[in-house]
Amino acid sequence: MRLIAAAALTIALAAPAAGEAVTVADALGRQVTLQRPPQRLVTIFASNTELVASVGLADRIVGIESFTRFPPEVVGRPQVGGRLGFSVDRVVRQRPDLVIVTPARQAVHQLVDPMERLGIPILVVTHRSVDEVFANIRLVAKAAGVEARGEAVTHALQSRLDAVARRLAGRGRPRVIMITGRVATGLMLIARPGSYTADAMVAAGARLAFDQPQMLPQVSPEAILRSDPDIVLFAGSEADRRELFARPGWQHLRALRENRVLTVSRAEFLIPGPRVVDGIEKLAAVLHPDAPR
Amino acid sequence: MIRVWATLAALLVAAILLGLAAGHDWAGPAEIVRALSGDPSLDSRLIADWRLPRVLAAAGVGALLGLGGCLFQGLFRNPLAEPYLLGSAGGAAIGATVALLVPLGVPQHWLLPVLAFLGAWGATLLVLGVSRVAGAVDAAGLLLAGVAIAAVLGALRSFLMLALSDETVSLQVVLSWTLGGIQTPGWSGLALLAALTLACFLLAQRTARGLDLLGLGEAMAHGFGLDVKRFVALAVLVGAAVVAVAVSFGGLVAFVGLAAPHIARWLVGPRHGPLIPASGLVGAIVVVLADAIARSALPPAEVPLGLITAVAGGPFFLILLARRLRS
Repeated sequence: MRLIAAAALTIALAAPAAGEAVTVADALGRQVTLQRPPQRLVTIFASNTELVASVGLADRIVGIESFTRFPPEVVGRPQVGGRLGFSVDRVVRQRPDLVIVTPARQAVHQLVDPMERLGIPILVVTHRSVDEVFANIRLVAKAAGVEARGEAVTHALQSRLDAVARRLAGRGRPRVIMITGRVATGLMLIARPGSYTADAMVAAGARLAFDQPQMLPQVSPEAILRSDPDIVLFAGSEADRRELFARPGWQHLRALRENRVLTVSRAEFLIPGPRVVDGIEKLAAVLHPDAPR
Repeated sequence: MIRVWATLAALLVAAILLGLAAGHDWAGPAEIVRALSGDPSLDSRLIADWRLPRVLAAAGVGALLGLGGCLFQGLFRNPLAEPYLLGSAGGAAIGATVALLVPLGVPQHWLLPVLAFLGAWGATLLVLGVSRVAGAVDAAGLLLAGVAIAAVLGALRSFLMLALSDETVSLQVVLSWTLGGIQTPGWSGLALLAALTLACFLLAQRTARGLDLLGLGEAMAHGFGLDVKRFVALAVLVGAAVVAVAVSFGGLVAFVGLAAPHIARWLVGPRHGPLIPASGLVGAIVVVLADAIARSALPPAEVPLGLITAVAGGPFFLILLARRLRS
């Protein structure tokens, strides 16, 4: 009996140590276990760097991808990949205890398998809606052992979104298209339903002028003209917007004639991190200038 | 002759060692020895568990491409013939596109090779069937059917790539596969590749005599008792299997299948008995070296292998060709 009691006591004492291990499920349904809170993070893509920074762990980031520009303090950190792909060697050289990655470019294909074989935890996140971006913040915070901070950060972001929603309640929604890029053939890439960018537009009080799920992400300028949006958003610089819309043909666009072709920040609408809330607030103010503040 | 084989074998071993050393962070001889003797440190495991299977897979894929090129060049009696000729590249690429872009709920690391294999093999069967329906199974008919089917499959793949990619499923993944991406198989996958490579080599070797006879012309081959039609169809099937295994483990690696048999021919002459294994060895050496360059040239990125084999292999091949023609 005493033996059993002793054993039970041992288990009870051991429990907190074992409890430090955290297991989370990632976007691919993989179970990722971290034996202790990670101290050396490699964050692939700007969005994942921002997720980690938003819960106050930017100083633990030891490797980034070459298009990461924010926050400023991580910019000089070692680069483990870029446009042409990602380097297993360079990731391993950083001795990370957690790699966070998004299925874009070749990142997941090039990194998940080697990291699993080498026993380095790797977490895959996706972002199909603003809610999922918030869930990612909580996921990263939990994996990094700062779960409460993740809750606090997303709670604050969510209450800002709720405030926007209250201001816009009952107001009409303009029909909006966001151009996110151009391809060489002259076709436009637009924010599609089912992407977090489109979700953010809706949260800012827009209605999607192209609201059908589309097979191809590109649309012709003609299709944009025909859909006759109230407002056209261009994700990019003011100069690029002017250059694009100075081209012949666009003068038939009602939104252009009415001076309702606007520029939005790529960082806020195309990097699925916490700054999307800044973008939503600004866009809501532009789309609904007469809504109460 | 023995010197040629010894040199080729030594070159292959040297290429494999170089491949183990190559990376964005190069490993020295001491590190390689330590890694291969089972050292548990992360750097050693990177070499032993990640680079080693990849380098060996590259050798297998290169050997298969050399074999495939040798078969098709002998079969069509055309020095421009290459292993992807009969639709296998287009078919494999469609299989790979589906595996990479359609979420089928099956682990991709085995779906990709299986669908690439089926695509390559299926496309070649289609070419064989079409040319049979259209009339005779002869070289010209097969080639034309291959070109037509490759065009259809290419367009289909492009459509799939456009339709199935979005912000999270990237075209780059498919594109880099079609430019040659050696998979890094696990140890069981590597054993499978080794077994298949050996089987392909034995099958290919059995076509050697027929290919030699065919080289004398169809009438002469017939005179020597070769059932030409039957032999061509069988050899195409063997070639298709060889290429399908190669693409399923290595994606589409440009140029090796064309160049390796030529280099081998300069070394061992035109008889297919020695030419087939020599083509395999040359192909293995070339792909292992090209893969080493691909993994180390432009840190932190990895250059697609097919670009290296074409960009570095092309001029190298031209130099060899020029020296050959001058002598």
